[in-house]
Amino acid sequence: MEIDASNIFDKLNAAVSLLERMAASLEQREALMSGDVQKIVAAVEQGAEVSQRELELERKLAAAEQLIAELRAQGSTAAQSVRKTLPATTTQLLAKGGITSLESIEAGALDAALTGLSLEQRIAVKAQLIRAGAIA
Amino acid sequence: MRLEALAVILPEVAGHPNRVSFEGVLTLVDEPSSRPPSGARGHRVILTRPAAVAALPSLLGMAVDYTPSWDGHDARRKCGIITQADVAGNRIEVSGYLFGKDFPEVEEQVRGSGPGTMGMSYELSDAHVEDMNAAVWSLTRATFTGAAILLREKAAYRDTSFRLAAKRCRTKGLAANATQGEKPAERPRRMYGRSNWQMETGKDARWR
Repeated sequence: MEIDASNIFDKLNAAVSLLERMAASLEQREALMSGDVQKIVAAVEQGAEVSQRELELERKLAAAEQLIAELRAQGSTAAQSVRKTLPATTTQLLAKGGITSLESIEAGALDAALTGLSLEQRIAVKAQLIRAGAIA
Repeated sequence: MRLEALAVILPEVAGHPNRVSFEGVLTLVDEPSSRPPSGARGHRVILTRPAAVAALPSLLGMAVDYTPSWDGHDARRKCGIITQADVAGNRIEVSGYLFGKDFPEVEEQVRGSGPGTMGMSYELSDAHVEDMNAAVWSLTRATFTGAAILLREKAAYRDTSFRLAAKRCRTKGLAANATQGEKPAERPRRMYGRSNWQMETGKDARWR
């Protein structure tokens, strides 16, 4: 009989604990639904701060990104300036073949323009165009 | 520019040994915090202008506190009091005085630190968040329960500030203490003919 009473008491205790947890959970959920916040302090929480190491990495990343952007800009400028250095004879040759702009040369048009040249000359012109960045 | 201002007017006591005037920018309105404040469950927050204006009266008479490491709030270390608060532009500007004689270490820290080193942080209670699921919480209602003086880098809002007056006088010296190129905060003017210890609200024009 004593064992039964103790057993029942334990079960009741467990049930009460469960109910208490449920009540706390419901209160928390209700607060979340209502949008009410008991306290907010406009100081950064301890442990949530960005560490010095992270700050340093952020700075390095920003510097690297800036460097990449600068190099890209330089590369673009360099490519444009190289194109301007294409030999005049080559430019004239291409112009005779109907190619006046180096911005977009079609393979077929280039081959047609170089038809009268020997194989070595065609290779030389194409090499110049590659160096100038006009063709890949 | 619209300016909401409130002040508790205390009797002036020339050369009061325990009053050191201060002014600062407590927080920004309608702008998200730079980092999540404590208690916001990792969300950055926006204190909306209507909420800030409505909460302004609760700010007056509240204490400023500090921690020895200047990194947060300690409500048991109240070292001063806020007597004026303005919403000017997107800034809540406050002024008041520190208990300089009781807390010499606070005065020493603030005077000894470089310009822009010290900032402020508010403490809010009973805040209402418009949408708890939003990435940035928008506060539509709140009550100010205090403020802290701390290192600006420890504040959730990076653009706060705190500075002391040059002299131990309630109303003088703040303009003189303004750093070069920095305009001192406008403040409500005393309404002569009215009793002290009163509180008035309204636009800037009402105080002129």
